[in-house]
Amino acid sequence: MRGLRADVSATFTADGADAFTVDAAVAVDPGESLVVLGPSGSGKSLLLETLAGFHDHEGGVELGGDPVHDRPPEARGFGFVFQDYALFPHMTVRDNAAYGTRYVDDAADPDALLAELGVADLAGRYPPTLSGGEKQRVALARALAVRPDVMLLDEPLAALDVPTRQSLRDDLVEVLDDVTAVYVTHNRTTARAVADRIAVMRGGRIVQAGTPEDVFERPASPMVAEFVGANVLPAAALRGAVDLPADADSVAVRPEHVAVDADGALSGEVVRAVREDAAHRVLVDLDAAGVGDEPGAGDGRGPSADARPDGGDARLSLFSADPPATGERVRLSVAADRVTAFPASRE
Amino acid sequence: MATGAETRPWLERLGRTPLIVAFGVVQLLAFATAYTVDSPTLYAYFLVGSVAVAAYALDGSAFVVGAATLGSVLVVALGLPLALFVARQQPGLIAEKALDPDVHRVLYLGVYGPLLAALASLAFGIPLARLLADGFPGQPFVESLVDLPLVVPHSVAGIIILFGFGKGGAFPSVSVLGTMTGMVLAMAFVSAPYAVNATREAFESIDDRLEYASRAHGASRFDTFRRVTAPLAVRGMITGGVLAWARAVSEFGAVAVVAYSVKFFYLPAGKRVTAQHAPVFVYNTYLQGGLQESGAVAFLLLAVSAVIFLIVRYLTDSGGSTGGIQ
Repeated sequence: MRGLRADVSATFTADGADAFTVDAAVAVDPGESLVVLGPSGSGKSLLLETLAGFHDHEGGVELGGDPVHDRPPEARGFGFVFQDYALFPHMTVRDNAAYGTRYVDDAADPDALLAELGVADLAGRYPPTLSGGEKQRVALARALAVRPDVMLLDEPLAALDVPTRQSLRDDLVEVLDDVTAVYVTHNRTTARAVADRIAVMRGGRIVQAGTPEDVFERPASPMVAEFVGANVLPAAALRGAVDLPADADSVAVRPEHVAVDADGALSGEVVRAVREDAAHRVLVDLDAAGVGDEPGAGDGRGPSADARPDGGDARLSLFSADPPATGERVRLSVAADRVTAFPASRE
Repeated sequence: MATGAETRPWLERLGRTPLIVAFGVVQLLAFATAYTVDSPTLYAYFLVGSVAVAAYALDGSAFVVGAATLGSVLVVALGLPLALFVARQQPGLIAEKALDPDVHRVLYLGVYGPLLAALASLAFGIPLARLLADGFPGQPFVESLVDLPLVVPHSVAGIIILFGFGKGGAFPSVSVLGTMTGMVLAMAFVSAPYAVNATREAFESIDDRLEYASRAHGASRFDTFRRVTAPLAVRGMITGGVLAWARAVSEFGAVAVVAYSVKFFYLPAGKRVTAQHAPVFVYNTYLQGGLQESGAVAFLLLAVSAVIFLIVRYLTDSGGSTGGIQ
């Protein structure tokens, strides 16, 4: 098993659009799964395609210390799984899975892979007759069959419906357990399930890389914080409730570190409670400067937006198994050690 | 929008095929009557009128009736000469021509020469189409050159070929004037654009990611072409080949200039013979023997072309593949 070290730069031009440059360094240890997480258009698929050698690029790509950047795609040693499967429509499932085996000496048995992925009974069928989940399992078998040094997966679950996605994700976690992989997604749930390490990408660059814990709990910027699902709000909204550095301009805290708490230092009004799987996501508009009136003892009027510092969106979301009703006034506490503060200059 | 079937339930009950058959039979009877009374013009009026009535019965909207009526005028202009051409043939003369060894040679050459031209167009056109589908520097210039034969008058194309490959041309050792090589060159010159463009469209409709998937898993560029791209584009190639063949069959101008009569190896006789390309032969027969005689030859050429076209159409329609992502 080999690791991947790459630092590549490639510029893409399309008619009528500005040139887009991907300039990113990634490092994946043998057996590790790196998730590249980023919004649509952040260049993560282009990064993957560049690593695989589909686009001209500058910089180096090394597999286990061997430079492969001057090799064509077929000689780089990657396996590739595409979002929309890219199965060969004129070949049977078995021929698809066995496609690359003739090019490598130590190929895996495609039939065994199809069986392992639960699609052995489809071996004689053609891709257009398969469901999305079945197609992606075949595509996965095709990539694994060449025993790649590194698997590149480009949003392999994005085109699937939710139940299929969940079951394939579970299988993927198992498959990727002993494979070196770079996995591109915009879905943070998938990222957390799959990743040993996460690189957050935006505008063609990697803006933070680290363990899932690092990225989710200690986001490097408000943008990353927002993208990984944390509450991002003006620092003033939490001042008084939490000790913050003097230069803090904004803060991030994950919903799971906010709780309804009668002794909490923050107060606000419930705007909405939305059921999400096992818990409710509760949205609370914080009172001005966070520390406000006694709950239930106010003058009957809710906090007004113009009372808030800098008119910013001081709204917190949190999870609750027993959510307060919409319009109810609540007190909240925040786990002070889980709050990340950002100085003004950070984007 | 209300469809004809919704507004006219009695038509729906009747079904589509009986309606088409009934319409066809009525047209045939009307044509036969008009032809018998020696007044085909009457049939032209009848066809336009009956189409208008049918459109009104089937749909009823003014737009459809108007479009069908105007469209039927063009159908008359294209179809009536063909119907009269077929009706006015003398079976005896056709039979005589069909048994004439000279005509056999002409028909053989008229199918075989274009076949060589179509194969040559594909052999060199497929690689070019592949490159054009990907794009390269200077592509617009090459595209214009490929499409040039579509706008050049074909006698001019013949002259160009003689300048290019005739005496003092690019390959002094190859003679083109009056040879098979010259005829195939002239045909390929006018038919290659069809082979290139149809194949190119097929290549362009294939998703890039299928090629990415092939190459990432070990296939070289050539293997990717052989195992993925070409099989997915094969229908486009066949379409291009058929179009090129059909264009070459119908070529007159360029062939008449370059290879008015051709010496070639005639397989049924096992020896080299001389014949003319079918359209040239038809024109020659017309000049020397008049309309009836040339009509009989033309009828045979038309029949052979139609049969080959239908066979190829049938073969290419029964298997299919998609070039999109699956």
